[in-house]
Amino acid sequence: MQNLLELIHKRLHWAVFLLLEIVSLVLLLRANSYQGSVWTTQANAVTGQVLTWESQLLRYMDLGQENSELVQQNLTLQHNVEVLRHELGKLQHDSTRTELAIRESLHGLTTIPAQVISNSVRQRDNLLVIDRGSADGVQPEMGVVSGTGVVGIVAQVSDHYATVLPVLNSKSNISVRLHDTEYFGSMQWRGGNPLRAVVTDIPRHARIKVGTQVETSGFSSIFPAGIFVGKVRSIRNSQDGLAYELDLQLSTDFACLRSVNVIAQRMEYESIDTLTHVRTE
Amino acid sequence: MVLPFLFRLFLAAIICVTQIVVCNQMHLFGYATPMIATLFFCYLPQNANRIGNMIWAFLIGMVIDIFGGTPGENAASLTLAALIQWSLLRAMLPKDGLEDDSCHNLTSGRHFFYIVILATVHHVGFFALESFSMFHITDTAIALGSSLALSITLILALESLRKSGKQS
Repeated sequence: MQNLLELIHKRLHWAVFLLLEIVSLVLLLRANSYQGSVWTTQANAVTGQVLTWESQLLRYMDLGQENSELVQQNLTLQHNVEVLRHELGKLQHDSTRTELAIRESLHGLTTIPAQVISNSVRQRDNLLVIDRGSADGVQPEMGVVSGTGVVGIVAQVSDHYATVLPVLNSKSNISVRLHDTEYFGSMQWRGGNPLRAVVTDIPRHARIKVGTQVETSGFSSIFPAGIFVGKVRSIRNSQDGLAYELDLQLSTDFACLRSVNVIAQRMEYESIDTLTHVRTE
Repeated sequence: MVLPFLFRLFLAAIICVTQIVVCNQMHLFGYATPMIATLFFCYLPQNANRIGNMIWAFLIGMVIDIFGGTPGENAASLTLAALIQWSLLRAMLPKDGLEDDSCHNLTSGRHFFYIVILATVHHVGFFALESFSMFHITDTAIALGSSLALSITLILALESLRKSGKQS
């Protein structure tokens, strides 16, 4: 204790010195506006720097959590981008001449937009499934078209889905005609190339050129007249020699079919399009 | 005990009045202002109380500041000078000297350096607090150098007067 008191006595002048300096500096900073403002500015700068370091340190320690949140946010944004890109693609889609013609043909008719959720083009009897069913107003034997042409006929429906018998099925038989003429025939698919079909029963006196457009005849309660089907690639005689068979280039590429429309309104004609012996299992 | 105190009080009053009335009004070339407060340290014996010296210096500085419009600047810098004055005087005086020897017992050279060192400490402290930043470092350096030179010259002149008056 004695040593401590001696030590304090020896160093007391330092304490007095510090006390007097502090009093002087307080007076200096309080009574001089210039020194006060410089001190405040510098103190703020130092305080700001220290707070910045503290903030950086805390942020560094929270990087794990922040990273997880950013990953989650990134996933959400990517999903949103995909949705918006899809919507934008729909809005920016430039209608082709075929689409305009088909839209004109369907004018005044009730259609149900649908998405293809299952499809095949390599089978002998292909089927496709759309995401609309009886709950949406879809019924069997309704026509299905896309922006490029005829797709097929609804075969069976459940509440929310429907099976469509496409052109690429051996049991499909759709009445078609040559563009701007009264000559009509029956379109069938005989397997193989999914972009080719055959039109039979075209009378031999008909004047046909390669490249002639083929469209639905309208002799059907399923499809209205004038829906584009394809173009004539080649012309040959039928096996019995009484008619022509037309090799047809289909306008619809079934391999990349996505959006379709179901024609909900029945035509007034009796159907000659057939839908027979459909197997959906 | 009373006589030294009254002498120091009288000396401090003379220094304060001279500084406030005369020296603070001088601004040679716009820069040089003499500060003679360190003259007080020339009259402090080596056996003077160290804390008492600092308090005297602080009070002299405070009076000059209050009347000179520089609050805290002289008080802080003179206190700093008083802190080292005690050790400086003991280091410069001969070991076999008397207890009440002051800087007047130093040789001329040591006396000169004693004044230069204390004046330099006081001036550096004062101008550091005066500028308080590095914005005008050149102007501050010029003011510091010129004021220091003028102050040392004035203090040495006053010391010479004292010496010559004492001899006559």
